[in-house]
Amino acid sequence: MVAYIEAKNVNLIFTPPNRMPVTALKDFNISVGEGEFVSIVGPSGCGKSTFLNVLLGLIPPHSGEMAINGKRVSGPGQDRAMVFQEFGLLPWRTVLNNVELGLELKGVATSERRPVSQKFIEMVGLAGFEGHYPHELSGGMKQRVGLARALATDPDVLLMDEPFAALDAQTRDIMQAELLRIWQEAKKTVLFVTHQIEEAVYLSDRVIVMTKRPGRAKKIIDIPLPRPRDYEMRVTQEFNDLKLQLWNELKDELTVHGNG
Amino acid sequence: MNDFVYKWRNPIFGSVSVVLFFLGWEALLTWAIPLNPFIMSKPSLIFEGLWLEMQSGQLWSDLLISGQPFIFGFGAAIVVGIFVGTMMGWRARVGYALDPLLTALYASPLVAIAPLVIIFFGVGVSGKAILIFVLCVFPFVFNTYAGVKSVDRLLVNVVRSLGGNERDIYLKVIVPSVLPFIIAGARYAIGRALVGILVGEFFAATAGIGYRIAWFSDMFELSRMFGYILVMMVVAVLFTEGIRWAERAAFPWRVGM
Ligand SMILES: Nc1ncnc2c1ncn2[C@@H]1O[C@H](COP(=O)(O)OP(=O)(O)OP(=O)(O)O)[C@@H](O)[C@H]1O
Ligand SMILES: [Mg+2]
Repeated sequence: MVAYIEAKNVNLIFTPPNRMPVTALKDFNISVGEGEFVSIVGPSGCGKSTFLNVLLGLIPPHSGEMAINGKRVSGPGQDRAMVFQEFGLLPWRTVLNNVELGLELKGVATSERRPVSQKFIEMVGLAGFEGHYPHELSGGMKQRVGLARALATDPDVLLMDEPFAALDAQTRDIMQAELLRIWQEAKKTVLFVTHQIEEAVYLSDRVIVMTKRPGRAKKIIDIPLPRPRDYEMRVTQEFNDLKLQLWNELKDELTVHGNG
Repeated sequence: MNDFVYKWRNPIFGSVSVVLFFLGWEALLTWAIPLNPFIMSKPSLIFEGLWLEMQSGQLWSDLLISGQPFIFGFGAAIVVGIFVGTMMGWRARVGYALDPLLTALYASPLVAIAPLVIIFFGVGVSGKAILIFVLCVFPFVFNTYAGVKSVDRLLVNVVRSLGGNERDIYLKVIVPSVLPFIIAGARYAIGRALVGILVGEFFAATAGIGYRIAWFSDMFELSRMFGYILVMMVVAVLFTEGIRWAERAAFPWRVGM
């Protein structure tokens, strides 16, 4: 496999003023192939969001190399888009204008970006809410706006930080199916952070298990389930074995008393 | 009918109390207490006097004269206040350095230095404009400061990650975040500006609303004096309600305004 996204010995230390420094990533290594769907699981606070932010180009690492398609990551780029864990919707923009933000920043004309944003608003099931402001939406609806915004920019690399965490179970199932469809049609590379083991198994080609902070990639588990995946797969023996394997890797990293 | 009442209930209830207030005042001084025109007046006389002031053109020329220092002082307060507040919010050290001093000045009753300002800068437009500036600049400074500090880093990052440059961050995140704070500051500042006009003109002036109020008071023309005070009240209400209305129109995304 040729590495499309490659992180080599990435170290990142937060130095908040008047606080102890926090090592969020320590010798973090991963390698993701083009068009791969890779999930990242790990205990809360282990550095998953931090890693995505570094890959997005928002936080420069203290040391180490990070490259996408052979190009070193030195700042944000339009080949990538993130679905943010905390949504990051602009409160003064309607749903439509939020979804359009990426295209607007790319300089796409209004007449061209309207149908694109409309398409993704419908895809995430928010048709009829185009004129609503974020404070008029539920948590799950906000999250879907963030999803539509990232998809509308049609990035090669989709970084998703617990993108379905705020959704109800049924909407989550629908969104998972939509995501798989888009991923397969548009040949995107997806990095998907989740706390749900079942979700990770269902969606991914491979799952990266991270250690507790300072986060490292501890174990990579292949998910050899056939594609396209369907809902019934979730009740097969093979699926449950994979879930169990993932759980066994993860449980050693979970401590009740937080992140020390 | 019910729909109509429901839609307009705020202005209806609001006006009822105002009308009752004036009726009560009129009734009290007509039937209950004999009117001593040297110390009191009543609405019928006040409105009559106001009418005469309007017809003679006196009221309008006074408004015009008081308006000038208001516009200069308030305008300068907006520009300087936003600039200083932005600096304080952007450069942490500037913020730390200026915060205590400016907070003390903001909290103290600065009208007290009105005589001094007039002595330094004279009785013309500039003295009054400076007084208004001194009173109004602080709400702009502190609201801008609070606004800049409250800009959500995440939103800056969102715009950056989607390919936005510095200018995009400024126009699409910072300005819309800070603007509501500045407009709210303007609402406080208006009240202080009106006090500034009155006090400035009480001390030294030959015309203007404040001057006229002081003069009528000296002349025991209480009906006329109350008429002018009424005008100031109307101006204050128009300004603050106007800003409130503009806020609702411009920031429909603000919750609970
Ligand atoms: N801006 C910051 N300043 C200081 N420390 C930070 C900052 N951002 C994150 N951290 C710290 O870095 C560590 C990793 O945070 P991160 O958000 O990456 O965790 P996470 O794996 O995404 O957790 P979760 O699953 O709860 O979202 C945490 O200990 C956190 O306290
Ligand atoms: Mg996170």
